[in-house]
Amino acid sequence: MEQFYELHGLKVSSDKKKVLDAIDCYPDNPVYDEIAEEYDEIFEEMLSVAEPVGILGFGKLPKEIETEEYREGTPVIYTVTSIGGGISQRSTQAFGEGDYVKGMLCDAIADDALFSMEDQLVEQLKLRCAEHHTGILRRLEAPHDLPMEAQRVAWKYLELQRRFGIGISEGYMLDPVKTSCQVFVLTDDEEKFRAEHDCRRCKNVNCRFRNIPEAEITVKEGAETRRIRMNPGESLMEGLIREGYYISAICGGKGRCGKCRVQVLGGGAPITAEDRKAFSENELAEGWRLSCMLYPKEDLEISFALDDESQFEILSDETPEEQTNGSGESAYEIAVDIGTTTIAMELIGKDSGKNLHTVTLINSQRLYGADVISRIQASNDGKKEELQKHIRADLLCGIRKLTDEAQVPLSKVKRIAIAGNTTMGHLLMGYPCDTLGVYPFTPVNIDLIHGTFEQILGSDECAAEVILLPGISTYVGGDIVSGLYAYGFDNEEEVCLLVDLGTNGEMAIGKKDKILVASTAAGPAFEGGNITWGTGSIAGAICSVEIHEEKPTIKTIRNQPPVGICGTGAIETLSELVREELVDSMGLLDEKYFSEGFLLGQTQAGEKIVFTQQDIRELQLAKAAVRAGVETLLVRYGITADQVSKVYLAGGFRYKLDRAKAARIGMVPEEFLDRIHAVGNSSLAGAVKFLGQENGEEVLQKIVEKSTEIGLSTDKNFNEFYMDAMLFGEE
Amino acid sequence: MAEAIIEEICDFLQKGRAKNVKKLVEEALEQGIDPKVILNDGLLNGMMIVGGKFKRNEVFVPEVLVAARAMNVGLSILEPRLVEVGNEPIGKAVIGTVKGDLHDIGKNLVAMMMKGAGFEVHDLGTDVDAETFIAKAQEVGADVICMSALLTTTMPNMQTVVDTLKEKGLRDQFIVMVGGAPVNESFAEQIGADYYTADAATAAETAKTAVEAKVA
Repeated sequence: MEQFYELHGLKVSSDKKKVLDAIDCYPDNPVYDEIAEEYDEIFEEMLSVAEPVGILGFGKLPKEIETEEYREGTPVIYTVTSIGGGISQRSTQAFGEGDYVKGMLCDAIADDALFSMEDQLVEQLKLRCAEHHTGILRRLEAPHDLPMEAQRVAWKYLELQRRFGIGISEGYMLDPVKTSCQVFVLTDDEEKFRAEHDCRRCKNVNCRFRNIPEAEITVKEGAETRRIRMNPGESLMEGLIREGYYISAICGGKGRCGKCRVQVLGGGAPITAEDRKAFSENELAEGWRLSCMLYPKEDLEISFALDDESQFEILSDETPEEQTNGSGESAYEIAVDIGTTTIAMELIGKDSGKNLHTVTLINSQRLYGADVISRIQASNDGKKEELQKHIRADLLCGIRKLTDEAQVPLSKVKRIAIAGNTTMGHLLMGYPCDTLGVYPFTPVNIDLIHGTFEQILGSDECAAEVILLPGISTYVGGDIVSGLYAYGFDNEEEVCLLVDLGTNGEMAIGKKDKILVASTAAGPAFEGGNITWGTGSIAGAICSVEIHEEKPTIKTIRNQPPVGICGTGAIETLSELVREELVDSMGLLDEKYFSEGFLLGQTQAGEKIVFTQQDIRELQLAKAAVRAGVETLLVRYGITADQVSKVYLAGGFRYKLDRAKAARIGMVPEEFLDRIHAVGNSSLAGAVKFLGQENGEEVLQKIVEKSTEIGLSTDKNFNEFYMDAMLFGEE
Repeated sequence: MAEAIIEEICDFLQKGRAKNVKKLVEEALEQGIDPKVILNDGLLNGMMIVGGKFKRNEVFVPEVLVAARAMNVGLSILEPRLVEVGNEPIGKAVIGTVKGDLHDIGKNLVAMMMKGAGFEVHDLGTDVDAETFIAKAQEVGADVICMSALLTTTMPNMQTVVDTLKEKGLRDQFIVMVGGAPVNESFAEQIGADYYTADAATAAETAKTAVEAKVA
């Protein structure tokens, strides 16, 4: 592999505002117009005399510039960029002629132009680091992090004189003066890329470009510590997310869900009203705070809660206990379901058609809010690219994990089928979402989409064909079409019902000639969202609850010590509380438990896991939405509940749904009890089926054509049913 | 009448209005006003006011730049006449960035302010060795040697200049001033320089005071 990479085609640019800011020239300055005009006159000329060059070279730190931290032999990349001497010459000349304004502007333009190449350098660094399978641990600059002599080392090593005619002075300054040199310390951890300049470490306190963050945060995770810098006006949660930490912010950073808790070990963190709601006096004293409400004004040292969900894989009944050995197939295919909350994928052998491995992960877009509406808002607020980046990264991460764990080369994956709701599809494709959130809710494109891996996932590491399954409308997307396909609605002679208990509560009723579809805002409660102790289906989540004489008996996923309550656990708890008459028909929790909540168990740290009145309300709203939706579809289809032959309950409960308990809280009519099929992830199942069938596209198309959407929010029946469905135990 | 036009020159200069300054300086000369008066009470007085305001954070770099540029325009018209009347500058300075160091923007700003304070400034540019500093200072009969360094690795070269002056027995002939990001008061003291100043306006003011004290 190459050692040296010259950077060709470097572009230099100049940002007027930055240049003027650099010389303290702000719009309220009386001479602003004059100087701004002067900038306009000269900047093009200045940029035209720039001669940008750059190079990066892999090497090692020699003895003469080793530091205490980084010893001789440390693998590094040396980089040098220069804009040549032209602009500086003009600056000096202008000063000599007494045109101080021009002289100063030229110098500031030169600085800015040099900085403007930084992004291009970083891009190159990324590329080359990927090729060399290395990451970047830190950026070092002389003379702050390394002796000045590092510039001579780089100059000699990169042969700057021969390549670019760049000289070096006695004091190890590179000539021309507008040349910058860095040394990047490498690491085996390919995920790390910490190439940014750290103004805090720089002693040049009068630097015009000095950008000192509000605070520096030291994050302690076990034995490892890491420092991150806060940007002005940023909440701690935003800073952590920006630095790649996974924070489960179900409420979207509004101080409500309590999921983003951190423990402040050092430094001042004022207690907010939200903190008081989220934590006990003891916890507050121990430094627990909501990171979404914390705007650090000084350096802090923090650590995370132990039940950080990112450490856990989401588990489901379908997760195979043992890994099947999948090697030996001629090719592989991957089925993907992009849920608003979770992403699931399955690796299938092309020859055997077998499910070889399953991976589920949390949709990291969750930090922009729990439901599709908040994602649409975020996209409309200019976060479109960020959201796309997140989902692409999640998918790539999942696909790599899937193939790595199954020991299958990624190059042998030939086809990937993706199902997801319309918003997820739009965000993945990078479509604008501004029409999704407003009447008449027109999607940009919900047809079946064919593309290459690179087109859809933005990475060329695999040549697979990628297919997005088609949707019906903005609110009934490819995930439901996929589910209908999975259970053969296109072929069904009798009327069946499919209810997806995900965040968007999509449902469909019908048979091969006619299907009615609808969606109802169930919210994330079925997935543990907006529940005080709610959590994903992770090890230690309470998933089964029985209550006798007010004493709970709980089971947790993988029998681990309890860490929270998953969606199934929440439903079961509510169901048991209703049966024990500790919750009345209006949904009111018994007085004894009203203020503190009903105690289910304790975490290892001794925290009380409780089920509260607020949790009941969340579930009550969710179940009422689903029930009213089902009832409305029955009416509109012109049949009664007993005429439905099969009821598929999908999504939401990936874990051991107890049908009787679901029926007891009135989520579905009692008539359904003997015909409920808890099917898990129907959307994923459809994507799997699609990959195994020759005529999948045709069938999907047929389902889309036979389907009609019912708008529930304006439906008179729905609203009546909804009020009734709020009640408990009044069947 | 005479005072009014001088005051106007001073005002326009502070506002950085080069064209007005140029026109008024020409008019003042036509009116037969002493070029020294135009220089001292008009141009230099204006620059001194701007420099003072800059130090008190009442104006910022852009205002200083436009004012200095206006002064320079006025000065270029005035200079031939000043020579005719035999005007002596308040002092002479050689200035440069020390050997090994190529930064020049800070040094340029000091040169600008020194000129604005009435000095005859000889700018030696960057990467200037001790011999060059001293030879030039002797040649022009300088009062002040101003040195700039932006790097810890080049700072010691300030010491070399001072030491060389001592070796040659010339140390007492010049006021030695130092500045630059890594330089401070105690460093100045340590190497035997006379003054350290943190910004260009203060440098000019300090140089002026020092020269006046020397003369007196």
